[in-house]
Amino acid sequence: MAHDREILREVWEGKLPVCFKLNPDEVVELQQPDPIYLMVPRLSYFPLVMDKVKKHFLKYITNDKQDQEMWLEYNGQPMKWHFPIGVLYDILVDTDNETLPWIVIVHYDKFPETQVYRFSNKEMVESYFMACLKESDVLKHRGQIVTSMQKRDHSQLWLGLQNDKFDQFWAVNRKLMEPSGDNEYFKYIPFRCYIDDSYKQKLVKPVTDEGKRKTLLDLLKETFPDKSSVKVKTHGMIPPLETPLQWMSEHLSYPDNFLHFSVI
Amino acid sequence: MPSSLLFGINNEGRVYTLSTSGSMWRELPYNGQEFKKLSGVPHFLWGLGGDHQIYVYVHGLDIPIRIREESYENERWLPIEGFTSRLLPTDRFHFSNADGTADRSIDRIRLPSMAWQWEGDWQLELTLDGQPLDHNGWTYAVDFPSCYYSKKQWKSCVRRRLWVRTAKYCAMNTWCAIAPLHKDATSEPFIDISIGGQNVIGADPSTMLVWAVTSHNRVMFRSEVSTKLPEGTRWHHIQVPTGCEVGSISVGPSGLVWSSLLDGRALVRVGVSRETLQGDMWVEVRSPGDNLRITQLSVGNTSVWAVTQDNKIWFRKRMKREESSLSEEELAVGSGWIEMVGKMCHISATSNDQVFAVGAHDRVIYYRMGVCQEDLTGKRWRAIRAPLQVSRASSNASLGRDRFHRSLNQITSRPSSMIEQPNFSEFEEQSHSAPLAPTSLPTGDYKFETRLRNPKAWSPVHSVGSIVGTEVHPDADESIWNENSRDSCIFAEDEELEWAEYDTPWSWVEAGTCLMDISQFPNWFSESNDSAIQEEFGQSWRTNILNDLKTRLPDQDIYSLYESAIETTSWIHVGEARVNLNSQNFVDCILQLEWLQITGTLTILNSDGATTMHSFPLSDITCVQLTSDPGNSRLSLFTPRNNPAVVVLQFVSDVILEEWQSHFAITCGKLRDAQGRPSDESIWAVTNLGDIFVWDPTQLERNQLREDDFYIQKFDLRGKECPIKVALHVGCIPGTVLTLTGCIGDEAERLGINLEAPYTYKKNHKAFTELENMCLHINPRFSENCVVRNSMVDGKWGKEERDGKMPFSRSQEFNIRIESTEDAFIIFVNTEKYTTFRHRLPPHSACFLHLWGKMQPFKLIIRSPVLIVDPLEVYWRQLGGHLRRVESCNAGVIWGIGYDHTAWVYTEGWGGSFYGTLDSHNVYPMTDCQDYRVYENQRWNPVTGYTSSCLPTDRHMWSDASGRQKRIKEQVKLPTVHWQWISDWMVDFHVPGGVDKEGWQYAVDFPASYHSNKQFTDLVRRRRWYRRCVIASVGPWQELGHTKLLDVSLEPVNDNSNSEVSVWALASSGQVMFRVGTSRSNPTGHSWQHITTDQPFSSISCGPFNQVWAVGKKGCAYLRVGIKEDKLEGERWVCVEPPVGAQLKQVSVNSAGIWAIDALGRLNVRKEVSESFPEGTHWQSIYSSDLPVLNSASHTQSFKQVSVSKTDVWAVTNVGSVLRRIGLSTQNPGGSGWDIGITGNWQHISVRAFR
Repeated sequence: MAHDREILREVWEGKLPVCFKLNPDEVVELQQPDPIYLMVPRLSYFPLVMDKVKKHFLKYITNDKQDQEMWLEYNGQPMKWHFPIGVLYDILVDTDNETLPWIVIVHYDKFPETQVYRFSNKEMVESYFMACLKESDVLKHRGQIVTSMQKRDHSQLWLGLQNDKFDQFWAVNRKLMEPSGDNEYFKYIPFRCYIDDSYKQKLVKPVTDEGKRKTLLDLLKETFPDKSSVKVKTHGMIPPLETPLQWMSEHLSYPDNFLHFSVI
Repeated sequence: MPSSLLFGINNEGRVYTLSTSGSMWRELPYNGQEFKKLSGVPHFLWGLGGDHQIYVYVHGLDIPIRIREESYENERWLPIEGFTSRLLPTDRFHFSNADGTADRSIDRIRLPSMAWQWEGDWQLELTLDGQPLDHNGWTYAVDFPSCYYSKKQWKSCVRRRLWVRTAKYCAMNTWCAIAPLHKDATSEPFIDISIGGQNVIGADPSTMLVWAVTSHNRVMFRSEVSTKLPEGTRWHHIQVPTGCEVGSISVGPSGLVWSSLLDGRALVRVGVSRETLQGDMWVEVRSPGDNLRITQLSVGNTSVWAVTQDNKIWFRKRMKREESSLSEEELAVGSGWIEMVGKMCHISATSNDQVFAVGAHDRVIYYRMGVCQEDLTGKRWRAIRAPLQVSRASSNASLGRDRFHRSLNQITSRPSSMIEQPNFSEFEEQSHSAPLAPTSLPTGDYKFETRLRNPKAWSPVHSVGSIVGTEVHPDADESIWNENSRDSCIFAEDEELEWAEYDTPWSWVEAGTCLMDISQFPNWFSESNDSAIQEEFGQSWRTNILNDLKTRLPDQDIYSLYESAIETTSWIHVGEARVNLNSQNFVDCILQLEWLQITGTLTILNSDGATTMHSFPLSDITCVQLTSDPGNSRLSLFTPRNNPAVVVLQFVSDVILEEWQSHFAITCGKLRDAQGRPSDESIWAVTNLGDIFVWDPTQLERNQLREDDFYIQKFDLRGKECPIKVALHVGCIPGTVLTLTGCIGDEAERLGINLEAPYTYKKNHKAFTELENMCLHINPRFSENCVVRNSMVDGKWGKEERDGKMPFSRSQEFNIRIESTEDAFIIFVNTEKYTTFRHRLPPHSACFLHLWGKMQPFKLIIRSPVLIVDPLEVYWRQLGGHLRRVESCNAGVIWGIGYDHTAWVYTEGWGGSFYGTLDSHNVYPMTDCQDYRVYENQRWNPVTGYTSSCLPTDRHMWSDASGRQKRIKEQVKLPTVHWQWISDWMVDFHVPGGVDKEGWQYAVDFPASYHSNKQFTDLVRRRRWYRRCVIASVGPWQELGHTKLLDVSLEPVNDNSNSEVSVWALASSGQVMFRVGTSRSNPTGHSWQHITTDQPFSSISCGPFNQVWAVGKKGCAYLRVGIKEDKLEGERWVCVEPPVGAQLKQVSVNSAGIWAIDALGRLNVRKEVSESFPEGTHWQSIYSSDLPVLNSASHTQSFKQVSVSKTDVWAVTNVGSVLRRIGLSTQNPGGSGWDIGITGNWQHISVRAFR
């Protein structure tokens, strides 16, 4: 059970200051538009926070492009919108040398079809999010919880995330974070380790066969058996290696119920 | 559910207890007596000692057990001697009971047993029906069986007076021995004991049944055991069929008795009812199998469990009412045994069928998981692992000392849930004179010897007694009255005690005392991960993570200007409903609630969805109240400034209603900025449906215009035509300034600018005449070229003042300012001082500014030194929960009382019930229950006797109490989906006036007085049926404890922020209690202290700390005297007479006076109360019935309740309107009129914290 509301709240409240700039090549007006500065929630997805950005740049681009999908670029790379914003930041930004705000370039033209999925509307993000959620539940409870939920629970989860409503989201998410039945632990820990442009996933149990609680160190050893002293980052911090896995999964998962680690 | 206790006996015979709110076994104080068996119901535990004698342990009661002995002294008047005690031979005894049938000589009235003590000496009762008598207490009558009057008349031939004396059970919280069957205790000791029967259908709720088995295998029934007489009176031998030798016995909460025989069979006692509590016959039940002997049984509410000699456990099938074809007897016996998993040596069921057992081999106490009404057999056994408090005296401690971690830091490192709350005060007040048991009777202990040597020490009541050393004299043992002794607690807080995670081998578990709430398991299964979670809080990795998370974003301030990326503040909610706008009928409509950023609108569309019926901004709503009838889900929106003032919506289901209710509540709350915890000054109110509302005046204060120290109200009167009346909600109290600008018409003749006070009413015959009152009348007369000033008192003009020039002129603008000072109005015209007008009526009483004549006012500005409160405008915000009354005080301590008299304490949270988890804080589940009652009416017919066929003019055969409404049992519906039935319809045997064996009450004809015995003239009869239902809700309330309350009143002792709060309460029996240790930081207080009264009370109120008033059940008022800062509970009660011819019902006291409601629904205020004479001199009645002024709150006939704050008096009327008294001043403490709030189905209001 995810009891530690203080941690949950702090994770949920994590926000990044982002400076959105329109790609100068696409500006049709004489005057360059001002960049727009926004606080975006780390746990959200870019398509969900672009309404204000879109409105802001609307009059600076040609009419025919207005209906095209926007895409975002950082450091010359298009960003994958289906990763949570915090994950993108942790993977892409070298925090030691870069300073905040995070400067992101907005594009309308030349959608990088080969690198990024297209998203035509928020429903697409929703279905991707729900797919992740189901996958994680399969790992944790063989999918029993998510399938027993009602449609309105699903939409409450999604709306909670979309509208940045902690209580609304956690009222439902709590059920997903409980070990099912009489078990004290999840079956497997849903996680992704981002390394070199892709990620690794593996079946890792929260306890050893002898019933001892596993820690982050155990997970990293199992995921990267050939590497020693791997360090990972999540939610903009480096979690201590002795943190128990079950607790991490309950408290530090993103809304899609996965732990997202970026290897540094 | 309040905490309750599980008891266990370990292998040494020591008794331990485990509280549902705790997590550790604590040992009951050991006084040398080991125990073999225990049986209990809440608060009453019976045990079989190691000496095979029976002991009683009464514990956890806040109110002492007291009995009141009464004896009437009768005298007859003889011609020469006057009144003497010599009576006629046909007369009653000199000292008798109330109807004179029994001798009650006071020297022969003895204590029931040695466990009792007298509280003081015989005293005279000095009131008759609430009216005080003279100090001798005599009441006079013509002859004995007659009506008694307080005054002696010429024809009074007899007189009587009442002597009363109370006795108290003082063996609380200690084992008290029950006298053995024979003089020689060893001749027939006991082998089993069982108590139950607390829920025998129809029986008095205080009833308990105790059965025992002796070593001669005889079955004994203890008569008259009740909560009022915990020891009962004597043992009765109950015959068993020949050849049956009883080995053990168990009695369930319903009074059902099962006993096991030595040959393995079982006997069931059937026919237990309220008349025959011991049942009437035995039915034999075979053992579960050949060669299987039942060794022990436990009877729950609808289940029976048994243990056989091979330690198998068995569940009895079919004990439940599933098929109506089963007879009572078949139900009691059940139909067969089912073998259950597990090997247990002892089993015990609670009154709600939960099951505990002791393992046969491991001697661990197990709890049966998953037992519910649908599945009484449960799912699996789970071991209770609660650490044990090991006292040094225990031999286990000395044997296995190494195994105990004898460290204090283990205690401190324990998660907080393990530290027991010190308010374990249930075990308060240990008795001192009473009776510890002899360590071992048969070995000839000295106490036992004492008893034999001194047989006089035995209680005079034959065969009852406790074993005590000496005779008890009421005054001999001061320790009873010693205040310090109250703090003593059986669980001493000494740190020497060792705590250990140690499994003692158990030999017995008793669950009858325990009420397990299936939805909230106690923290008894400590191997669960709860403790692991607790540990996590202290771990370094958690601290690191939290710190890292918190410091992720450096220099937060820089980004504070950044907009948030996600904002969703506009939405629309649409749905179908039925609406009632003209309070006549409901029509279909479509509701549309639109929320835009910070404002909202409700539009009610016709069912075509195109045309609008009604539309208003959400800011017009002052209250959203549930007004459902059973079967109709209704919500009332109060918009008092609109027409209609109330919009009633009806929804197809409670679910949809609640969805809308939460939308309304959340949006209105946002608009009114009513979020978070309401401030200390808030006014609390409760509706008839038990919903709780609160109004926070600080929210009005924030929003009201301020200028310097003034509160400002501005009215734009442009476009309005005279006459105009503007309400002055705080009167024209000194310091108030009214500024009016306007323009005088061309043809103006006379103008009037009046400050009007409420009418006075004069009663002539049945009608009232309205008499006008006017504080100030400014009357410019252009024809006479002067300004006349005057006042009007009771419809008569005073002396005119007309000096000074004429400052007004036709068709010119004017500006008039009226300043109210302590002694006069100062009037300025066009900014120049014009004149002064000395007060003739208190300026407080001005309630309207009335403008008439040919003028066009532009603007009116009211500047008031105090907050201007219009009771119509206050915004009532709902909080979750279900209560009957809420009482507040300005120290932030708020208590509530439910319909079932449970006390609740406000947790400083909000939300709950329909708000859901999103807008809730600090909320907990709560329950409440209520009884539905219907009356069955019958008429006597010469041929057929009483039948349900009636005269055409009669009432319905099934009706409500008044007989006007038809009520059929099967058609009674629950008010909302949150209610559930928890019983069937049952005949109520506890109706005022008494009933016969079948519950009937007889009367001559229908609307008449009912009596319990059928008389010759009786032609009709009725009986009351009731069915209990329970509501489950969620709200910011926490249950206080077991003691049920009738009324409570709170008031801080001084103005310090964490001042002690005086809490006076009435227990449900009308006894007064004072809560010790209550303050803002500890709103639940510490423990109850009982305060002696000679009368049961019905209402209590404490004003500034030394003013405590109460109302007795007979209608007298009482004032507590001797209250000092160091003695908050005061010294004694002083009786204050009620208003002439009336009986008081409710009282409220504060700086604004002593106000009381009488039984006729009139409001009374105590006059001439002063520092030196706090009881005042007389009551002033404020008429309410047939008062036209209250017609604006329609159908008002009487007052229901009154609440008084430092400066304000608010009342609730019988139709549920809330009223505020205006015109209160030191000269006129009764006030002059009413300011009327919404008619909101209100039931109770508490304004005690308000300014």
